[in-house]
Amino acid sequence: MSTVLARVAERAYWLGRYLERGDATARLVAVNGNLLLDLPRRVPLGWRPLIDITGTAPLFEELYGPNAEATERSVCRFMTTDTRHPGSLVSSLTGVRENARNIRQAMPRITFEYINELHQFARSSLTAASSRLRRAEALEGISRRIQRLEGFLSQNMLHDAHWDLLRLGNYIERADMTTRIIDMRTADLFASHHALAPFEDIQWRSILRASFAMQSYNAAVREPVAAGRALDFLFKELRLPRSYLRCLEGARRSLRALPRHADPLKQCDRAIRLIRSTEVASLGEPNRSSELTAFIDRCQRQLAALHDTVAQTYFGYATRARETKNS
Amino acid sequence: MTPDWRKYRADGLFDELVQANGRARPGAGRLLAALAKLSADEVQERKTAAELAIRAIGITFTVYDDGANIDREWPFDIVPRLILKQEWDRIARGLEQRVRALNAFIGDVYHHRRALRDGVVPQDYVLGSREYRPRCAGIDPPHGVWCHVCGSDLVRDKDGQVYVLEDNLRTPSGVSYMLENRAVMKRVLPELFEDYLIHPVDDYPARLAACLRSLAPDGNSQPRIAVLTPGIYNSAYFEHAFLAREMAAELVEGADLVVGEDDCVYMRTISGLERVDVIYRRIDDLFLDPKAFRPDSVLGVPGLVRAWQAGKVALANAPGCGVADDKVIYTYVPDMIRYYLGEEPLLPNVPSYRCAEKDQRDYVLDNLDQLVVKPANESGGYGLVVGPHATRKEREDVARQIRAAPRNYIAQPMLSLSVAPTLVANNAVEPRHLDLRPFILSGKDVHVTTGGLTRVALRKGSMVVNSSQGGGSKDTWVVELE
Repeated sequence: MSTVLARVAERAYWLGRYLERGDATARLVAVNGNLLLDLPRRVPLGWRPLIDITGTAPLFEELYGPNAEATERSVCRFMTTDTRHPGSLVSSLTGVRENARNIRQAMPRITFEYINELHQFARSSLTAASSRLRRAEALEGISRRIQRLEGFLSQNMLHDAHWDLLRLGNYIERADMTTRIIDMRTADLFASHHALAPFEDIQWRSILRASFAMQSYNAAVREPVAAGRALDFLFKELRLPRSYLRCLEGARRSLRALPRHADPLKQCDRAIRLIRSTEVASLGEPNRSSELTAFIDRCQRQLAALHDTVAQTYFGYATRARETKNS
Repeated sequence: MTPDWRKYRADGLFDELVQANGRARPGAGRLLAALAKLSADEVQERKTAAELAIRAIGITFTVYDDGANIDREWPFDIVPRLILKQEWDRIARGLEQRVRALNAFIGDVYHHRRALRDGVVPQDYVLGSREYRPRCAGIDPPHGVWCHVCGSDLVRDKDGQVYVLEDNLRTPSGVSYMLENRAVMKRVLPELFEDYLIHPVDDYPARLAACLRSLAPDGNSQPRIAVLTPGIYNSAYFEHAFLAREMAAELVEGADLVVGEDDCVYMRTISGLERVDVIYRRIDDLFLDPKAFRPDSVLGVPGLVRAWQAGKVALANAPGCGVADDKVIYTYVPDMIRYYLGEEPLLPNVPSYRCAEKDQRDYVLDNLDQLVVKPANESGGYGLVVGPHATRKEREDVARQIRAAPRNYIAQPMLSLSVAPTLVANNAVEPRHLDLRPFILSGKDVHVTTGGLTRVALRKGSMVVNSSQGGGSKDTWVVELE
């Protein structure tokens, strides 16, 4: 099998995205739970940021009622077990399974043992009314199983175009998630609540933790956690597997291994230029919060454009549209 | 096994492992002794191991009205079915003979119709068959072969005689279960393999690939092969994916393929369009090409039949070969063997009554409570009426249907299918009815699988082995008697 069908290419790419999304969602919910434990009760933070950073407020309100309160219970359900929410953890795992089913023949046979086990674990451990402790265990277990699956694929799957597409999906989703996790900062809130200033670094620590980057930060930066340094680390540190720039470089490498990559590569380079030419550390200053938000939006638009070019180039939409026109 | 084998009896039936006097059949002794040595706990342990292995491998199949839950495990019995090599060789020769005659017949139907003119098979039955495709007339597929993969169902009656129950010539499935069953068996009862010389079955994908390669247009020795599947919601999708992977072929859906103005078939890939030479299609004729057959088919590829007619792509099985799958046509297979090959059939048909013929129909209608009535063109056991087990209402309904469309029905006497010891609830061992589906590959050469898929009716007394109706399966051992 030297080539990949356009339809299968799309599945491989989305398998990569859903794996990453599942892992990130599990970590996001777990880290948020942890963060709240560290903050004083009067902090008006709560669970709302999870809804906001994933851009799902309209759906949340549709499903849980207008002006629905973002309680621990409702947000956790929305983010983990709610099958009506396409970005929930369970939906991502279903996406993993459905897409994997379609590219079964490109993966080592026992991959499905891992996927089935992941599914069964998620189904039995993520129950709606579980305690905090059980929830934390379930999320950690899921995250670990996804990483084991990815590690297994990395070590055992033929590194052909299927793999490059899967990785491409991984990188694009991870880059997107990294920007969203950074967005989780609520600098405005902290700025307006002077009483909370002492807790600001807790927040940045949990952002690093959500990116699996806390220990790496300590080892690489060797300075106390602060907004500017954390931003620079998460956006640009090439040694950090989840940094935004590293993800783009990874996407670039995957693209270069694929045929006909001129268009998507051009878009990828555009995104890389934007981040390289931006002084992100200074965007961490308290009065530049809205600039940071605007910059994150620009990054996300670049990623969306990259996704679109990848789809146009590889998933067969372009040729199919031409045929319809001709017939 | 804990259940006392000395008490095991399959009264009045032919048991594949145990003789009427309770002794093991030749070759089965060591197997039965080894099984008898297992304690109840060990039996349970192996059974659980098999279930886990199956679940893990994801052996799944779909029952159509199963809703969103498309995965189901395929029940597997850990007691293997055993056939002696000498007997199997005889059966295999009979199957090969049969498939040669069937291919000669299909080619004849779409060319000179000699057998029809000579009155061997009535013209009306052939041209009136739902599976007859006028479009296929005059086409010359490679090697004159139309049916490249045939799955014939064999049954053994209580006197030990093996019959061909039906030939599945369209898109027969089940071969992946034959292969998986062996893999599971090796995993859960490896010690049994030490005592026997069991013929391997895992060469099937390589044989199938060789068969398909021999069909490539223009003698291309490195053809690109694709398995065409209806998609993940098809009951046999697992098998399609399995075979594609094992053959290193592409697994494609209709939308992946496009027929060019040069009549060649291409698939859409990340590098653009790439030519396909041989398609092992697992989609029914009528859905294959909306331009040739059903215009509303979204599973097919517009222009595919044109490409096939132009000789730019090989299709296995060839469109139109289902005409010999018709159960009325089946009743003529022994005559075909004599007519085309000048040989006596090595394997008998089950005696059958054609409802289209008045005297036979009258007999059928008078004896519905003793006969099995089968629609001519269904598969998977759908539409079957088992007279002795049917309600009066069911018999009246089928009588009405026979009178309304006699051409669409045949009837056969109720055979007592042979049984084999099968693990049932509480680890008891009881006889259960079974059949056997070997697969016959025809390309440049003919190859018969060693053994095949043994299907077993898990419900006590039931003779319906179809996976869609409560059937399971067993590993099938063709063994040398040392």
